[in-house]
Amino acid sequence: MLDVMKIVARRWRAFARLALTSLSMALLSIASTSPATAQTAWGRDYFPNVTLTTQDNKKVKFYDDMLEGKVVVINFIFTTCTDVCPLDTAQLRKVYDLLGDHPGKDIFLYSISVDPERDTPKAMKTFMNQYEIGKGWTFLTGKREDIDLIQKKLGIQPAGPNPAAHTTSLMLANVPAGSWIKRSPYENPQMIANLLTGHLNAAGMLTADKGTKRSYAEAISVPDPGEAGSLYRTRCAACHTIGAGDTLGPDLYMVTQRRDPKWLARWIKAPDVMIAAKDPVITAQLAQFRNLAMPNLKLSDNDVQEVMAFIERESNFVTAQREAQKTSQHAGHAGHVMQPAPVQGHDHH
Amino acid sequence: MRKQGFWGIAAVFGCAVSLFSFPAFAKGGDDAADGSVRKYDIPTGATASPLFGARPFTQKMLQFEEFGTRAIPPEESTNSVTLAPPADCKSSPLGWQIDKVINQKLWPAPMREANTYRPNPWQMKIGNCIGYTLKTSAIEGRPPGELYAHQRYDEFTPQRFFTSVQAGARMNTGARDVWQKHQYSKGEFGPGGLYYNTTGYTGSDGTTNGITPRLHPLMPAQNANSVWTFDGTLPPKLLMARYGEPLLFRHYNGLPIDVSANNGFGHHTITTHEHNGHNPAESDGFAAAYFYPGQYYDYRWPMQLAGYDSINTDASDPHAGMPEANGTITKIRGDWRETMSTHWFHDHMLDFTAQNVYKGNAAMMNYYSAVDRGREGSQCNYSSSANVNLCLPSGTAMGWGNRDYDINLVMADKAWDKNGQLFFNIFNTDGFLGDQMTVNWLWKPYVDVRSRRYRFRILNGSVSRYLKLALVDATGKRVPYWMIANDGNLMEHAIPFPNAQSQDLPTQGIAERFDIVVDFSQFQPGTKLYFINTLEHREGAGPKEEIPLADILSGKYQGDPAVGKFMEFRVKEYAGTDLSMNPADYVEGKKKMVPRATFTAAELASARKRSFEFGRSGGTDEEPWTIKVDGGHGDIADINRVSAAPDVGSLEVWTIKNTSGGWSHPVHVHFEEGQILDRDGKAPPLWEKWARKDVYRVGPEPNSSGTVTMAIRFREFLGSYVEHCHNTQHEDHAMLLRWDVMHPGEAIAIPTPEGGWEGMFYEPSYVLPTWRTGITAAATR
Repeated sequence: MLDVMKIVARRWRAFARLALTSLSMALLSIASTSPATAQTAWGRDYFPNVTLTTQDNKKVKFYDDMLEGKVVVINFIFTTCTDVCPLDTAQLRKVYDLLGDHPGKDIFLYSISVDPERDTPKAMKTFMNQYEIGKGWTFLTGKREDIDLIQKKLGIQPAGPNPAAHTTSLMLANVPAGSWIKRSPYENPQMIANLLTGHLNAAGMLTADKGTKRSYAEAISVPDPGEAGSLYRTRCAACHTIGAGDTLGPDLYMVTQRRDPKWLARWIKAPDVMIAAKDPVITAQLAQFRNLAMPNLKLSDNDVQEVMAFIERESNFVTAQREAQKTSQHAGHAGHVMQPAPVQGHDHH
Repeated sequence: MRKQGFWGIAAVFGCAVSLFSFPAFAKGGDDAADGSVRKYDIPTGATASPLFGARPFTQKMLQFEEFGTRAIPPEESTNSVTLAPPADCKSSPLGWQIDKVINQKLWPAPMREANTYRPNPWQMKIGNCIGYTLKTSAIEGRPPGELYAHQRYDEFTPQRFFTSVQAGARMNTGARDVWQKHQYSKGEFGPGGLYYNTTGYTGSDGTTNGITPRLHPLMPAQNANSVWTFDGTLPPKLLMARYGEPLLFRHYNGLPIDVSANNGFGHHTITTHEHNGHNPAESDGFAAAYFYPGQYYDYRWPMQLAGYDSINTDASDPHAGMPEANGTITKIRGDWRETMSTHWFHDHMLDFTAQNVYKGNAAMMNYYSAVDRGREGSQCNYSSSANVNLCLPSGTAMGWGNRDYDINLVMADKAWDKNGQLFFNIFNTDGFLGDQMTVNWLWKPYVDVRSRRYRFRILNGSVSRYLKLALVDATGKRVPYWMIANDGNLMEHAIPFPNAQSQDLPTQGIAERFDIVVDFSQFQPGTKLYFINTLEHREGAGPKEEIPLADILSGKYQGDPAVGKFMEFRVKEYAGTDLSMNPADYVEGKKKMVPRATFTAAELASARKRSFEFGRSGGTDEEPWTIKVDGGHGDIADINRVSAAPDVGSLEVWTIKNTSGGWSHPVHVHFEEGQILDRDGKAPPLWEKWARKDVYRVGPEPNSSGTVTMAIRFREFLGSYVEHCHNTQHEDHAMLLRWDVMHPGEAIAIPTPEGGWEGMFYEPSYVLPTWRTGITAAATR
């Protein structure tokens, strides 16, 4: 009887030890927020750990170096695209800007070439410079079959020998969490940035200071519902502002006054033609903007006129804002002036 | 008409779509290991689900378990029970802690505006798990302030409530036994009844205690991180609700704080859509109004007939009413022609709906009304036209809500890994197919039925699989039956099957509900009948073709493993008297069940017109899929963008088109039921002619068409709703758009909720040029 009791007691002790161990394990896992400790079905066993080469000629492993433990954005590009694809990079560049100091710290962007033979590290470095892309956004090339395999594993149709057929989707992921989201590059860049810093990155965005008590009365005024506003937001705003300074492309404030309207219309309609014709104004502009050419957006004549009218309207609006600001400064309200907000089709006024 | 579309051009000149023929898109995720392309990518991106020696039709089907509702106490409970935090970052709270919340008296009391005054009770735990201390948090995840306050709260103050916790799979402890309306004491749910024993095993008499989350007794139990259900338990859950009695659903999120604790799929933030309730936007489960682990969201469902503000406002029509326990009816306001019957509610999380619904976030909901009260043999319309009760098969033990002969069925394909744990391929966004059929979460079950009339409320709860159901006897002969409701709405007339337009039930898209009545009295006890799925898929983008019944039965057909027999009926003797209506008395030319509200030609002509083209044409590649609104650009989902804003109280005519060349899209429009005016310019088939719908199939599959035109009214409530493809993989990537119901003349876009662990806030919204005008103005621009 006594022996039995002893055995029972020993078992209880064993249980207690086990319980303690699992408790301390739990504590450990609480203390360690390193996401690398997490398990997911979509990890090392799933992704090919192939070697890619960065724009700096560095060899990196797809899983070990690029994915493991990270929040990432992946897209597929090729640098010689002359159609609308440059807009993809411009759009992602906008997300990149909105991410502030996150890129390279806790969010990593990767653009992988689907034209690896032509896209040498040097070519990609030049491409990055054109878009003024810095830390945290890496451009990669490698063996075609490896890149095809990566695309396939991400549920993306491999581009094959024709890079123009590539998929432009953005893959957004918290890799250790196994959370993968496929989005379009044409989506509102702010939303993608919010997703990356917030929903996909638990330790990122703090929302408390954004205020919690808003009412319908505070709802924003409606953005310009005209066709032109929509055109501007989806085609132009990735590279231009109206009155908020140069970005990837020149500030468009009063451009309709500064340039001959007919010339401007020709440029918006077919920039590739005017570049090829070595238009002197364009050649000078290109030099100023790192030879980053405006893509041919295939706008109709009517679209072009509407966009120009929109730019003029918005420029006038900015002028009025600036006047109002001056007036209020003169009136002694210097501490409480309206900010000259960047105009992006009234998106976020 | 519109100028040349930008995206269409992009598709041609940019990264050409046309380089791939359609079948090339079928493959996403991983193909066979050798790189070859399988003809049937089923289950999508995985190998066949192992059966662990299980054979079909060897387990008793689970009946849905009622949530049970209780009166809201007049005073706030002093018993401040809330959801205890889990032991670790990767788990749900313990079972007994969840049961305690299920049984709690409602605390804290519900509020018109979100309760952001108390913190998330898991705040400390969350801080430990995610690595930073939350500066703020809220117990309720509903977006704060007036924008998401309950509309018309004083008018539709919730009278009854129920609570559930979304949680990892666990054993059922029978905590809801006491909340079953039948109390396991009445009719077929009482001693001696067919469904008194819930599983067919000893120990399951009159209780769900001991039911483990398994697809079959021989298969392994599902782990807590594989399956997330209401309460964390099986059977699947059913809400029994009455018209005229506003409800409050306090939905707790008890999912793991660590988002990776999901066995490969599922997201731990959720938003719950009651499909397709006449509910205000704040309780519709808007895709961006999601809530976090530890929080609850109070959904308030008014349970009123559409037309409340304009039709039968003196509540004099005896057809519009709430059934009482004593068999009487309390008359209510509104248009009884808008009476709805069979609903479901499920997760609607932005980007993650497919994964979460597949993982178990789906419940059914039966609406009971004066005309459809779940009580046969009392004040029946078949005895006198002055009586309004249609006396559909149900039972007689209670004044309303008898389920003895009225059975909810959720049918869904699933797949599981070598360990028997549920599997989902998150990378294939064309659509996900399982290789095995389940009914009420069980693999190929049988159900005992009496030799009398039954009503079955059939929901297609799949992610991407369309169904086409045939009902046959053991020799393979088709059995006749009637379809009585489409998308949960009783039709004007019962449709007999087989009929001139279809031998079997029409194609049933994802989320569609078909209610049918089968008369088993034509069969001897001992007879066995079968549901057969005849619709073949090869990949997730849409169905391939209907397989001839003979080829399935002979075994000649060996393709899609989910085609074939998947459910067995075993006919038992019936000693009682069948007092239900005979649907043959309600076919075309005879009596009417629920007439449709009609529209005059003038109303239709002056209605605002809108068009929605669901296609793959947008962007510079094959996907994400886009919706083109009113002839504008193809757009993918952007929850901040308002694509349409109908006036409250108005009638609109919407044209839904499929321009994706071979793909299928079951398009779901939230909030209101529409009537199909035509399909490709022709009259809709019988089962749509007499129906009100909320899912509109467009595509090449049987019984569908490329274009659907439908009329829809927007009434009583305001706010942000969505419409989307209900192939939920398409919906998540990202074939969804937002429309808002607004006051006429209003020009301020409703802001968009967005949030994190520390609370929700609002971002500005923006609008499409045609948001207030529809296509009428677009065409004249």
